[in-house]
Amino acid sequence: MVNAILDPTGGVRVAAAKAVLTPRRAQLKGATVALLENTKQNAALFLDELGKLLKQRYGVSATVARTKKSFAQPIPADQLEELAATCDAVITGVGDCGSCSASAVADGVAFERRGIPAAVICSDAFVVTANAMAELRDAKGYHFATTAHPVAVLTPDQVRKRAEEVLQEVVAILTARS
Amino acid sequence: MSEPDPDNAREAIEYCYEKGWTDGLPVVPASRPLVEEFLARTALAPETVIGRLEQLGKQVTVEQAAINAVMAGCRPEYFPVVLAAWAALMGDRAARGGGWQSTSGPAPLIVVNGPVRGELGFNSTGGVFGPGFRPNATVARAIGLIVRNAFGIEPHVLEQATQGLPGRWSICIGENEEESPWESVAVEAGLDEHTSAVSATLLRTCEYVDNRHTQDPEQVLADLADTMARTGALIFREESVGVVLCPEHAQMLAKAGFSKSDVKSWFIEHVGRTRTELRKVGKDGLSEHGVRHAAETAEGGEVFERFMSTPAQVPVIVAGARNAAMSMVVRVFGLWTGTPVPVGGNP
Repeated sequence: MVNAILDPTGGVRVAAAKAVLTPRRAQLKGATVALLENTKQNAALFLDELGKLLKQRYGVSATVARTKKSFAQPIPADQLEELAATCDAVITGVGDCGSCSASAVADGVAFERRGIPAAVICSDAFVVTANAMAELRDAKGYHFATTAHPVAVLTPDQVRKRAEEVLQEVVAILTARS
Repeated sequence: MSEPDPDNAREAIEYCYEKGWTDGLPVVPASRPLVEEFLARTALAPETVIGRLEQLGKQVTVEQAAINAVMAGCRPEYFPVVLAAWAALMGDRAARGGGWQSTSGPAPLIVVNGPVRGELGFNSTGGVFGPGFRPNATVARAIGLIVRNAFGIEPHVLEQATQGLPGRWSICIGENEEESPWESVAVEAGLDEHTSAVSATLLRTCEYVDNRHTQDPEQVLADLADTMARTGALIFREESVGVVLCPEHAQMLAKAGFSKSDVKSWFIEHVGRTRTELRKVGKDGLSEHGVRHAAETAEGGEVFERFMSTPAQVPVIVAGARNAAMSMVVRVFGLWTGTPVPVGGNP
């Protein structure tokens, strides 16, 4: 009799493609938008700048700035509920490390499944790991916005330029149905 | 008994490569009877969950750990040490957080104390950082295979190490209790010397300090402190950096009246840089989250910034041969927990 070779992985999990995006997309005019920064260098400024542009150009009426204390972990349930209860849409990032890019995508998926349109911003050096996280959350193909790597060393003016560049994609993610 | 069949072995090894289950080196293919021998060494049920990564929705069972320990080349009697090392790492906040996925590519430092070192043949003397000793080499490798296979953290995908560090998945040292003048890290944490235990943390790197040049203990400490205070390793306001002292350095310090606690206090006092030195490398400013960056204006150039403030940030371990005065600075990725896990569960 020949012994089988045992699988050390616990079995390959087949990623299911479940619905991700909440059907009700954001109406930016008059909306309250949460800006959830993850403590990475320049993340707060990047999101703050996006918030200003959304107010100036898309009629967003208010922004709510929040900090995710532990960038490697999923957003705590109470913080997710607070933002879901008070905001019409969420922008989160900037995913520019191995764990925080993945967890930013996990947060984006969690907000969408909670009924809140969410735009995630990752540096383009972390697309593979961000996509892998989407698969782990049964959200294969989940679309997030990218900005060129690196982000942490940019000057404030360079960060503003980046926000400007990614604005349209963020708007598209928050408002488009697919 | 017939002779082992190398062609069958090759086929089984290649099968594991094709499945993506290896760290690049050949693994021992795990069979049910062999895994059962490992499981017989622990009182824990095979389905017991011994680690979770909430952010990935992943968990590890005792049986998965056993399969990976087999694959790493462990003997069945090593398995309780693997479980203790794993438990020690799951007690490390950075390892539970994003450590395994980090661009830093950190490596576990596993420290084994107590009688199990002699019983199983863990090296604690010459060449302690390896290679050459099966328990040291395979226990560390088992941890890496568990992370890869059970947590599913593979290089270039969920593992995003920019370069990683030499020695990842191979740093497992016995403490040289026999030639240390001080209490071991396990005894320091409250265990008795007859209890075998494993401590672990994640490292960013190791760097040697060769000081065979003086009999003055403070000069040796100053040489160590200079390496400990490298600006390249500094990211946040403070850091955690320890030393694995060779017996000669440890004995010299003890002879001059330094307890282990005195050594830690000396490092807390002296490991740091002036703000001018930090400015030179763009690390004189601090964000509100405690991350360093280049400050916009130069202030207080002569101010000496200490990089550590508590003994918990400075693990002091003794290992290696007594044949030369060279020690290793070990850079902790998060914070040394100082909490050894007894081998075979709590005594």
